[in-house]
Amino acid sequence: MVLVINETIDDSSHEDAGHPERPDRLVAARTAVDDLHLGDDLVVVPARSATREELVRVHVGNYLDELSAYCYSGGGDIDQDTYATLNSFAIAKYAAGSGLAVIDELRRRDDGVGFVAARPPGHHALAGRAMGFCLLNNVAVAAAALRSQGERVLIVDWDVHHGNGTQEIFWDVPEVLYVSTHQWPLFPGTGSVNEVGGRHATDRTVNIPLPAGATGDVIRRGIDEIAGPVIDAFKPTWVLVSAGFDAHREDPMADLRLTSGDFAQMARDVSDFAPQPGRLVLFLEGGYDLRALRSSIHASLSTALGQTYDGESSSKGGPGTEQIERMRQARRSTIELLHASDDEESTR
Amino acid sequence: MKPFFNIAVGYDGSHDAKVAARWAMEAAKDFGAVVTIVHAMGLREHLHPKYATGVTPPELIALARECAFDESGLHWLVSDGDACSVLLRMASPPINANLLVVGSRGEGKREGLLLGSTSLEVTEHAPVPVVVVPSRHVER
Repeated sequence: MVLVINETIDDSSHEDAGHPERPDRLVAARTAVDDLHLGDDLVVVPARSATREELVRVHVGNYLDELSAYCYSGGGDIDQDTYATLNSFAIAKYAAGSGLAVIDELRRRDDGVGFVAARPPGHHALAGRAMGFCLLNNVAVAAAALRSQGERVLIVDWDVHHGNGTQEIFWDVPEVLYVSTHQWPLFPGTGSVNEVGGRHATDRTVNIPLPAGATGDVIRRGIDEIAGPVIDAFKPTWVLVSAGFDAHREDPMADLRLTSGDFAQMARDVSDFAPQPGRLVLFLEGGYDLRALRSSIHASLSTALGQTYDGESSSKGGPGTEQIERMRQARRSTIELLHASDDEESTR
Repeated sequence: MKPFFNIAVGYDGSHDAKVAARWAMEAAKDFGAVVTIVHAMGLREHLHPKYATGVTPPELIALARECAFDESGLHWLVSDGDACSVLLRMASPPINANLLVVGSRGEGKREGLLLGSTSLEVTEHAPVPVVVVPSRHVER
């Protein structure tokens, strides 16, 4: 099976000294791809910039104008976490466009797995606001493009932080199912199990918040027991993964205890949700320990491509297992309440 | 108009945040309100937490004393998120603040720019009144 990745662009000028979201992360990601030794089975598609038309499917036009003007005036800190430089808007548009280019190639081939190694990451970017290192929501731009073509898109977000931007953008969109596993409480403070989607998309948001110290077996059980039935009923035609690797136990930004072996297993599980070859794309989100990032990307891509992975073992025994059933019940109760309140309103 | 009974203030330790906290305490004395001061714990702060829940920064206790504001009406919170989302959350349960207060510019922000302006975002989205306290504000 081929791996389709985006061509590297020069992202070195989107950097802020000492900031953990830095160009070296992409070097680690590219090295992880090299570690697969794919030869002719590696397909590199030319990078391209997302157009305004493609961006306004998820972002507010005024925000794009402000961000563009801010960058071209020299940039600076947008908030306590997020920075922009002179070239950041241009680089972010390439990051958003890379997903579209990879998807086009997969569709043409009806085969392979996609990996979008681009930065800045995207899943915290809201429709009208940058935050959490993110300027444009790359995975959302791709999902919105697919949706506009009549597809039903599953987004699995296994970054250790909740993807509040992606959730907000597709909150009331029935053609996109958003599933997130994340540490909680933790930045950005959203991602409760009771957040299940808007009135027209109740059940299209699935949050699996996990306590610090949770291990891979807990996350996989959460996906299987809480999200699994929802995904089966949804029947996605495309699967996009917000693949952050900061849930790795070596990552300094959070306190989950995953290993590269866990990412290998999760990638294998997630690839089973894709209806056919050529319908699975992984988007790089977080992951700040370069060694863990490299090994976790390598592990994920190995199993997504159907290869065996014999690196770091998977983890188990962490806290959170006992919460899975409670989360499932709380989610069901919330959905029943929302439906009851809708019924009440419609009979008035 | 209903009286303001719970005033929430965003706090990042900057000069402007202190000016906003002082304004909130002075106003709270007039309204008989409590003051909830909240620090938004950003993504990067996980590496080096600046403040802890349950430990009110000493400068705020000193500020309360300077303003002769009853410390029992001063609540300190640290909440995960960006400054804008965290302050907006204060207007919902369980805090239910009915007045939000923010300094005009946070730490490290470029003056005069709209992008990244917490005060602008909060005023745009808040379900309750918002006071933006200018950095040069002095009680008279």
